[in-house]
Amino acid sequence: MNVLKNLVGILDKVQKPSRYIGNEYNAIYKKKANVRLCLVFPDLYDIGMSHFGLHILYDIVNSSDFASCERSYLPWIDMQGLMKENSTPLYSYESYRPLREFDVVGFTLQYEMSYTNVLRALRLSNIPLHNADRSDSDPIIIAGGPCTVNLNPMKRFIDAFLVGDGEEAILEMLDAVRSGTREEKLRKLSTIRGVYVPGFSNKVSRRIVTKMGKAPLAQLVPYTNVVHDRAVVEILRGCTHGCRFCQAGMVYRPVRERSAKEIYDIVSNVVQRTGYEEISLLSLSSADHSQINEIVSLLKNLDDTSVSIPSTRVDAFSVKLANAVSSVRKSGITLAPEAGSQRLRNVINKGINEREIFDALEHARKFGWKRVKLYFMLGLPTETDEDVIEIGEMLKRVKKMGFESVSATLGVFVPKPHTPFQFAEQIKPEEAWRRYKLISWAKRFAKIHFTDPRKALIEGVLSRGSEDTCKVIEMAEERDLVFADWGEMFRPDEWFEVFEECGIKVEEVMSAKTLEYEFPWDFINVGIYKEYLWAEYERALNGILTSDCRESCTKCGVCMNFGVRNVLKGKGKIVPMPN
Amino acid sequence: MSENKKYLFHYKRYGLLRYLSHLETMRMIERVLKRTGVRFEQTQGFHQRMKLSFGQALPTGIIDLSGLFVVSSVRPIGKEFIDLVNSVSPKGFEISNFEEVPKDFKLSRVLNGYEFKMLFIVTPPLDMLETALKVNNIWIVKLYIPFNSSVPKNGEFGQFLTLRSKALFSEVQVDQSIGSR
Repeated sequence: MNVLKNLVGILDKVQKPSRYIGNEYNAIYKKKANVRLCLVFPDLYDIGMSHFGLHILYDIVNSSDFASCERSYLPWIDMQGLMKENSTPLYSYESYRPLREFDVVGFTLQYEMSYTNVLRALRLSNIPLHNADRSDSDPIIIAGGPCTVNLNPMKRFIDAFLVGDGEEAILEMLDAVRSGTREEKLRKLSTIRGVYVPGFSNKVSRRIVTKMGKAPLAQLVPYTNVVHDRAVVEILRGCTHGCRFCQAGMVYRPVRERSAKEIYDIVSNVVQRTGYEEISLLSLSSADHSQINEIVSLLKNLDDTSVSIPSTRVDAFSVKLANAVSSVRKSGITLAPEAGSQRLRNVINKGINEREIFDALEHARKFGWKRVKLYFMLGLPTETDEDVIEIGEMLKRVKKMGFESVSATLGVFVPKPHTPFQFAEQIKPEEAWRRYKLISWAKRFAKIHFTDPRKALIEGVLSRGSEDTCKVIEMAEERDLVFADWGEMFRPDEWFEVFEECGIKVEEVMSAKTLEYEFPWDFINVGIYKEYLWAEYERALNGILTSDCRESCTKCGVCMNFGVRNVLKGKGKIVPMPN
Repeated sequence: MSENKKYLFHYKRYGLLRYLSHLETMRMIERVLKRTGVRFEQTQGFHQRMKLSFGQALPTGIIDLSGLFVVSSVRPIGKEFIDLVNSVSPKGFEISNFEEVPKDFKLSRVLNGYEFKMLFIVTPPLDMLETALKVNNIWIVKLYIPFNSSVPKNGEFGQFLTLRSKALFSEVQVDQSIGSR
């Protein structure tokens, strides 16, 4: 079946029809393949097309000799309604075939608030929501992405999870489902390293690629103005700073860098094949690349192409770096001190002091940036009212430096699984509102944006949930709580009703825990010892810093457990394996 | 001495690409041109973009058989450029020809308007019926729309398809036609 004919009548009636047409430059439609995979980003196309992980897998699978990969995204509400009216199922953007006709449908779980979107995508595809209800004629539903480090809330809906890097495992997974009954396929999948199959597996260890693989060069070029409308080169994966709140910093270890020369070759090739006018250097912290100076000077040779560095540290070097690559108007610079007081920055192991922050800001002002945006978190472990007030003091000082405009975003800290702060509690919305009020006086100096603490709480419950949370996801989707991350679609009261009806004790899930506590995600081995996380938590409570593991091994367990190591390209450095 | 040359390009945009907005079409064309590897003049300022000017914007959903844009290349380009540009274009976009124009050429000065065709599978409104042509079971209504006047939206009169079929020029300030297909 091909749904293209149905689409013609529908597309005239929706907002931004270009997000539903596919046919992008560099899209690949392989007509013949033994195994057909459709990767779904469970959110709007405008968001999903900006996700680089999907592009990596698309390239790998389509380069294989036995499998094909197509894509799909969750249509916006207007399109969903019209598709239902016209009996048009969710379809792929390459062959316009319904998802149900694929051998494998893969979801990427990038953020917890998209869980209900996964169920909506299955519903629009007429695929049974529960893995237990699927038969041999249904596709195998797989999922990957950072949220799989606690896969429990999606356990009843997904047939096989991949925890960790997908570059190698995806082909092994597709090979495993070439033939056999559904049960045989699932059994084979459960033997692959990094794969967890509910009902077949008891535990799982994160899959890691030891070095950066081939980069996608012929990147898809969307027509729609997507969130990150630019070419991408992943310059390094992993981060060694060890910020204690940061899940990505823990679960993407170790660091694996590409060399400056390789990055330059990739960028030149990608620009030529896509026609993009901007390229983004993707990483968790670009300034940490051991050859970053070399990379920047090489990339300056590119004609008519600007370079953006989205993730940088808060220090003068990073600001100088941003200045060096910046060919655009210096309208705004964003820095994330995370906490207002030095005491609290030490608690979270942010590794920067006040002098460094103001040095960075001074450089930004000197280089011509007129607007500065700062990110902070509220409710970090041990936070006192004085710490919160210090955020306001910092904003006052920044404004006095002479910036035209200062803005600050304050979010509520969520204790994520597999971080040292997984043992910490999350503050309740009413407490968050009280703390917000403590700095309302600083509105004279900065525009302060408070993110909704109820959203943080829902995110917390979904990220820390056990298998019982599956009921929540299902009921929430039935009540149309989809696109939950979108302001206009966010209905917090209904979420809390669902929690209550499903018997989820929010306070208990979000309360402080001890080392002995058995987390629902303890069976997922991301490589870091639980004892290490606990020790880090205790160091946090005592305000003790832990060094960057490039300087000396912190014995977190990743290198020892998985036989890997940080791969740094500068000066041919490879950090030795710890004893 | 500068070798910059200014060109008027004629393009077709059809199939699924009829669902692109004007801005999306502009961005797509800029990227198609960049993929050719030929250097075109950029705008000045902080955020450099390709210097392109277009004919009248179209609402989404309309097939465009008479799209126009003007661009200056850093060096002269020859007729082989058509094959090059079409080889790096997505399905549904095609450059049909291009011609060199004087440096002071402005589309707004030479473009009188466009011819549109509306296709009906039901009887068109009465005031259009007189001029409508019936081919098999399809009614075709032609409309002349002066430059910068309001354009019929897809489905506005009950038509199932709308095409911008022809660009009508007052005088053609063309130095020399270079290539066509």
